[in-house]
Amino acid sequence: MQFELGITKNGFSDTKNRMAQSLAVHSSPKEFLRQNSDMVDGLVRKAFQIAQSQVASPSVCLIAVGGYGRAELAPHSDIDLLLLYSSSQKEALPPLIEKILYPLWDLGLDVSCSSRSIEECLKMAQSDLHIKTGLIDSRYLDGEYEFFRNLYGLFTKKVLHRKVQRFAEGLAKDLHLRHQKYEDPAHVLEPNIKEGEGGLRDFQIGRWIIRAKYKTDRWDSILFPDHSRMLDKSLQLLWAVRNQLHILSGRRQDNLTFELQEKIAPILGFPHATEGIEEMMRQYHLSTQRISNFVHDILERTLYEPSWVKKAFFFFQRKKIDENFGIAYGELHLLDPVIFKRDPTQLMTLFEHCQTHQANMDFRIEEAAIEALPFIDDRFRNSEMVNQTFLSILRKGKGVENLLRKMHELGFLSRYIPEFSDVEGKVHYDLYHVHPVDVHSILAVEELARLREGRYQKDYPLLTSLIKEVEKPEILFLTALLHDIGKGREGDHALVGAEMVTRIGGRMGLSVEERDLIRFLVSHHLFMLETAFRRDLHDEQVIFRFANDVKNLNELKMLYLLTFADVKAVGPEAWTSWKNTLLMELFLKTSHFFERDAVTGPFLKGDEMIKTLEKSLSPEIFSEYAEHLPDRYLSSYSSTEIAHHIEIAHSIEKELLLVEWEIEKEIRAKVTVCTKDRYGLFSRITGSMFLNRLNILEAQIHTWGNGIALDIFWVEDATKDVERRLQQFKKDLGEILGGKVSLKDLLAKRKESNGIKQKVIPKVLGDVKINNQDSDFYTIVEVIGEDRLGILYEITETLTDNGCDIHFARISTLGNRIVDVFYVQDTWGEKIEGKNRMDHLKQTLLNRLTSPTPSLPLESELQPQVTRIETP
Amino acid sequence: MKKIEAIIKPFKLDEVKNALTKIGVQGMTATEVKGFGRQRGHTEVYRGAEYKIDFLPKVRIELIITEEMVPQVIETIERAAKTGKIGDGKIFVSSVEEVIRIRTGERGRDAI
Repeated sequence: MQFELGITKNGFSDTKNRMAQSLAVHSSPKEFLRQNSDMVDGLVRKAFQIAQSQVASPSVCLIAVGGYGRAELAPHSDIDLLLLYSSSQKEALPPLIEKILYPLWDLGLDVSCSSRSIEECLKMAQSDLHIKTGLIDSRYLDGEYEFFRNLYGLFTKKVLHRKVQRFAEGLAKDLHLRHQKYEDPAHVLEPNIKEGEGGLRDFQIGRWIIRAKYKTDRWDSILFPDHSRMLDKSLQLLWAVRNQLHILSGRRQDNLTFELQEKIAPILGFPHATEGIEEMMRQYHLSTQRISNFVHDILERTLYEPSWVKKAFFFFQRKKIDENFGIAYGELHLLDPVIFKRDPTQLMTLFEHCQTHQANMDFRIEEAAIEALPFIDDRFRNSEMVNQTFLSILRKGKGVENLLRKMHELGFLSRYIPEFSDVEGKVHYDLYHVHPVDVHSILAVEELARLREGRYQKDYPLLTSLIKEVEKPEILFLTALLHDIGKGREGDHALVGAEMVTRIGGRMGLSVEERDLIRFLVSHHLFMLETAFRRDLHDEQVIFRFANDVKNLNELKMLYLLTFADVKAVGPEAWTSWKNTLLMELFLKTSHFFERDAVTGPFLKGDEMIKTLEKSLSPEIFSEYAEHLPDRYLSSYSSTEIAHHIEIAHSIEKELLLVEWEIEKEIRAKVTVCTKDRYGLFSRITGSMFLNRLNILEAQIHTWGNGIALDIFWVEDATKDVERRLQQFKKDLGEILGGKVSLKDLLAKRKESNGIKQKVIPKVLGDVKINNQDSDFYTIVEVIGEDRLGILYEITETLTDNGCDIHFARISTLGNRIVDVFYVQDTWGEKIEGKNRMDHLKQTLLNRLTSPTPSLPLESELQPQVTRIETP
Repeated sequence: MKKIEAIIKPFKLDEVKNALTKIGVQGMTATEVKGFGRQRGHTEVYRGAEYKIDFLPKVRIELIITEEMVPQVIETIERAAKTGKIGDGKIFVSSVEEVIRIRTGERGRDAI
């Protein structure tokens, strides 16, 4: 152990721990940063003085740079030092630096040190952005003070205050590149507190520019007091979180991972469990949003400030729009600086002008708008002129997503629609919902705007043509903006939201019909996707019920468009081509219903089908199979498909098992499996699919009267290796059904290795719903739970063990949450009814969902001879 | 303590290194290696004749970390080294009995 600095490594970490503990009590994060920095100052000075006394030392100056220079030192931040020397003494430096650094390193401090002469510093600062920003925050520690004074004076005069615009450009580029790295969903859910958008680095960029341009260290001096107070609060939160991040992980950890979100929320005084985490993350998002607005505001002021020449020219280029606004160079400016305070309704006119003239606002207008926000009151919100202007902006639709984003950013939107402020920054603690509700809502508007501009013409031609048919686009946009407004309140957010939008619509002066429409759309905004993703669309009754609720074609179109926008805005992985297919199917079937007033699907009814089949099949085959084909099966497929199925069934008399598939778009395949029915067949098929990493999307299970099982699956493999995986699946299934290998053994091999710690992700609470209303013939079992390897196999096995025959299954995975829906009957072809039976089924399923080590299948007991094969 | 070994594409080394330093990894060793996996080498035509190149150049990085860091380190390497094409490499995790810093004689966690 080293005692050179009068403290041991253990003693040092004890001191740190004590400070960390007092942090939880006093809770001024900024103060902690200073204390930590002061403590390190003491150690660094001591190391420096000891080094100087031991080594024949040249005259040098020791300077703290970067975050340490600002005396903002988080528990495990790195410590950047600069050793200034006069150029003649370069040789004597290495032994000195060694003497300074070693004892600090041995204490576990993350210290780095560069040594330069004043000239070198200035030269490097001119070319290297990082060195330049480091020097802005430099702070004298020890040694020749004159050196420091010289450097700082020359640096500010010759480097910092020169070419401010280019400096800002460099920082803007740095910011842009950095944000690109952190924009994917994973980084939105687990943000990087330093480098991410609106993180601490962004704030520094704003501060550095203020330092360079306005020559002041007081960044708050150029902002409105309210504004700077809020910004300071935001910073305090980020610092508090970052301190905890470092303390809890014992290293420089700037990623706010799920695991740490769970630990930090209670420490910072947020309630325990999910609500606490969600509230903390809400505060977090609001804070980074404010910082992000701040830095963009500063960058805009610096980058787009016109030169004197331009200003003089600009004077003659002004174009007057009306008595309050002018336009020049594509930017709006105010002719009367206090107009917003005198007549706040002009704020809405401002946005209208932006749209009409496709113009931006200059920063002065934005400031004036922010300053006038307190004047937005109920009179403003009820003003007919304001509301008509807002609706007309939505109706025109051009650039509407950017305008709403601007309204949101300026804080205007939540003043105009106060209900919206409750969903700002509101997050879901799960893997599926990437964005906070406010961001998600504006993204939903953006998706509709893109659709309207024809940007999805190639991918979604039907939706593109539908949005052009919408008579009142303003209602659609308004619904997209407000569809989740009920989130975070008690009760079903769709129903609560529907009441809220009706009130908002009344305030905005919408007609009764319009209000009814918007209420319907918001209350039903999950209805279409739940029907499409969780019900059997081959079932006429599903379509019939859906159509009954939707009522007419116009509402159907609006609902379809809204559903598209809503899912697409959840995150890049939420919208899949599979979901697209399902929604389109539901839309088309329902619209046929409205047009012809009957569900005449593309296929024939049972007995008509039998007649058609009689003509196309050979008499002996027809007579062998016709009587065994169930009605539901007959109405689900075309006569050619059925004829083909019968052909397959006929051939398995010899082959035992037949598997065939068609691959669609590289990642998806329709797989037909035909074999003799037997106990537990379905769970063995799903087990074998799982073994081969095939994701099951949908399954139609048909059992014919003569004991033939014909199962049709839709499966997916995102790695585009479907063909190979299906080949292997066919082989595995054949061996399993033939009793050559045991599924249990194969599955055991696939279990995740347990040697290492797994990543912590948000938990999903298991839920089982048993529904006997939605179908006349089947009990619909909905299972919601946390995804894990082989879970579908386990659920189907449990259903089979409970005597449920599965007839249809639809599987969705949302992040780490599975929503699996099964249409089942008992062995006598009846629904699962009666409280006891239902409760028992529900309880067994719930147990299986939560039990981490489930029992594995029975095969090994059934099959005495087991040959092992290697898994691929 | 765990050892993470990752075989990655050489041009991904900088990206992986930067990503790892950002999450607080203190040090690592990188070696230029040659090997093949499923990628099995590719053939190249040289002066009219086709040559089979069995071994492809790769970089191996090794780092020793504490157990708690394993999931994050793996995730970081996966994300940074991924191109989505064949030959992106592999990550191996193994247990380490002891670590000793030679200069100071520190052992275990302290020596990482």
